[in-house]
Amino acid sequence: MDFRFTEEQELLIDSLEELLQREAPEQLMAELDERHEFPYKPWQALADHGILSLGIPEEYGGTPADIQTLTLVCETMGRHAFSLAIIYSLGIITIRDIVQFGSPEIKERVLTGFVQGDPPVALGITEPQAGSDAAALKTRADIDGDRVTFNGNKMYCTLAEMSKYILLMTRDPNGENPYESISMWLLPTDTPGLRYNKLAKVGWWCIPSYEVFIENASVPLDHLVGEINRGWPQLMANFEIERLALCAASVGAAEASYNDAVAYANQRVQFGRPIGSFQAVQHILTDMAIKIENMKHYIYKIAWMMDNDLPVRAEHAMCKLYVARASCEVIDSAMQVMGGLGYTMDHRVQRLWRDIRLMRIGGGTDEIMYNIAGPQLLKRAKLA
Amino acid sequence: MNIIVCAKITPDPSDIEARGDGSISLERAEWIIGGFDLPAVEAGVRLIEAHGGTLTVLSAGPRPIAQSKLKKDLLSRGPDALAMVVDDRLRDADTAFTARVLAQAARKLDGFDLVLCGEGSADLYFQQVGLQLGELLGVPTLNAVNHIALEGDTLVVERDLEDEVEVLEVPLPAVLSVTTDIHEARLPSMKEILKAGKKPVTEWSLDDLDLPDGSGNQSEVLRTSAPEQARRKQERIEGGPDEAAKKLVEALQREGLI
Repeated sequence: MDFRFTEEQELLIDSLEELLQREAPEQLMAELDERHEFPYKPWQALADHGILSLGIPEEYGGTPADIQTLTLVCETMGRHAFSLAIIYSLGIITIRDIVQFGSPEIKERVLTGFVQGDPPVALGITEPQAGSDAAALKTRADIDGDRVTFNGNKMYCTLAEMSKYILLMTRDPNGENPYESISMWLLPTDTPGLRYNKLAKVGWWCIPSYEVFIENASVPLDHLVGEINRGWPQLMANFEIERLALCAASVGAAEASYNDAVAYANQRVQFGRPIGSFQAVQHILTDMAIKIENMKHYIYKIAWMMDNDLPVRAEHAMCKLYVARASCEVIDSAMQVMGGLGYTMDHRVQRLWRDIRLMRIGGGTDEIMYNIAGPQLLKRAKLA
Repeated sequence: MNIIVCAKITPDPSDIEARGDGSISLERAEWIIGGFDLPAVEAGVRLIEAHGGTLTVLSAGPRPIAQSKLKKDLLSRGPDALAMVVDDRLRDADTAFTARVLAQAARKLDGFDLVLCGEGSADLYFQQVGLQLGELLGVPTLNAVNHIALEGDTLVVERDLEDEVEVLEVPLPAVLSVTTDIHEARLPSMKEILKAGKKPVTEWSLDDLDLPDGSGNQSEVLRTSAPEQARRKQERIEGGPDEAAKKLVEALQREGLI
C-alpha cells in the first residue's frame, strides 16, 4: 500500500504552508480572535492563491481537485490557522450544493464570487426547535406567481450576516413526509425582512454565528436551488464531505497543539530537568501522537473511499465521531502538558481548546453519528 | 524576450549533520531549490509577463537534482521550460566549472537576451557564478541588482550599494545577478502546479555539451568540517536589572571578553 501523496499534492501543501506563514501568522490569528474579527485578509489571500477555487468547475474560475487534496488542504490550514480551516470547511457543503443543484445563473453568481474571495455561503438549516432533528424545521416558503416569500427563523447560522447568501432550507407544512417537504433556496443576506442577532460563543470568536429572523423576505422564484421538496436529499448529498473537511481541520489543530506540547516538554525545566524526561509526560505525548496518527489514517481512508465512489455512510460517521473526540482529547492533553502557560490567553492552545469543542456538536453531534453508524453496522451484519 | 534563469538545486543546508569527528554529512539532506535563486526566477517571470517572450530555467548538478518533484516545483513558478545538465561529475563542482557548464548549456538553448542568476547559491554562497558566466558568454555582467526595467532594447538596472544606489543602462544581451530584494518569489497555485507537469524539460549530461578541455574544477576542496561545538557554561545570573547587568559585566570581564 503506497501511503505517499502525489507530487502535486506535496507541492500544493508546501506552497499553502508558506502562504499561511506569510498571510496568517499566529500573531495575526490570535489578534483577530481576540478582536472577534473575521479574517478577511487571510481569506482573500487564500482566494488570490487559488485555494478557494479547488474543486469548483473550471468555467467558474475553479481548479480540479480530488477529495484527498481538499482533505490535505483542510488539514494544513487546521495546523496553521484553525479558524480559516473551519470557515473553509463550513463552506464546502453550501458551495458543493450550489455546484450540484444550482441553476447556471445561480452558479455564475455564487461560484465566481466565492473563487474571488467572497465569504462562504451560510447554511440556514438549524432552528430553535430543530437541531439534531433538522427535519423539524418550520421556516416556510410561500410561492405567489414568480416570487417566493419566507417566514421563520434560523439558529446558529454561522457567517450569516457577513456572507452574501444563505442557503435557506424551508419546509412545506402541508407535506406529510417532512423529508419530502423540504426545499433549498438561495437567499441574499441583504434581502429586506432579515434581521440578525449575533450569538456570543465560548470559541470560534472570529467566525460569527447568528440567530436570523425572517419576516416576509421575498425573492424571485428562480432562487430555488434544485427541485421543490427535494431539499433534504440535496443537502444530505454533501454532508459527508463537509464532515470530512471539518475532521481534517480538527486533525490539523490537534497536531498543532501536539507540536506546541512536545516543544514545551523539551524545554520546560522542573526539578532540574526538562519535563519531557518524566515518564508521566512521555505517556501523555505518546497517547497524543497515536491518536493523531489514527485520525490521519482515518480521514485519508475516507477521502480515498469517496474519491473512488465507495459508500461511506457508516464510515464517515464513525470517522467524525472518533476524530471529534480524539482531537478534543489531544488538545486537552496539550493544555495539561503546558500547565499554567497553556491556560493563559498568551498561548494558542487555549484558542484551540475553546474552538475544538464544537466539533463534537456541529456538523452532527456525536450522538447523531452513533445513530447513523449503528443501524448501518447491524444491517451489514445481517446481510453478511 | 528570451530569458534564462540559472537556479541551483542543493542539499538543504538545514539538514546538514555534523559527525563526531567534525566532518559533515549530507546523506539525509533533502534537495531544494536555492532560496536566493527563486527571486531571480520571479524577476524573469515578471519581465516576460510585462514584455512578452519565454523564460527557461537552467540548472546543473548531480543526479538528485533531476527529481520529478523538483522539476515541477521550478516549473510551477512561472517559467515556460526547464533545461538541466544532470551529471554526477558535477557533485562538488566549483564556481569555475559550474559557470563553464552553464555557459555551454546557454549556448545550446535557442539564444538569449538576458540571463539572470541569484546572488549566490544556497550551499556555498560564493557569489561568483553569475559574474564568471557573463565573462564566459562575453556579455555585460553585473551583480547586486535589485531593480530591472526594460526600456526599448536596453535594461535600466539599479544596484543597492552601501551608501548609494547606482542606476545603470545595460545593453542586451547581458547577465545579471539579482539580490533577494528584487522580488518576493510567488507561491505556486494548484493551477500552476498542475500545468508544470506538462511543460517541456530538456536534460543533458556533460557529454552532450562539448565542453572545452580543462573545463573541470579549478580549485580543490581539502577539507570541510563543522565548527567546534562550544561547551556552554550555563551560568545563571539572578537579581534585578541593575544588579544582573553589573554581574554580567563582571562575568564577561572575568572571561576576558571585554
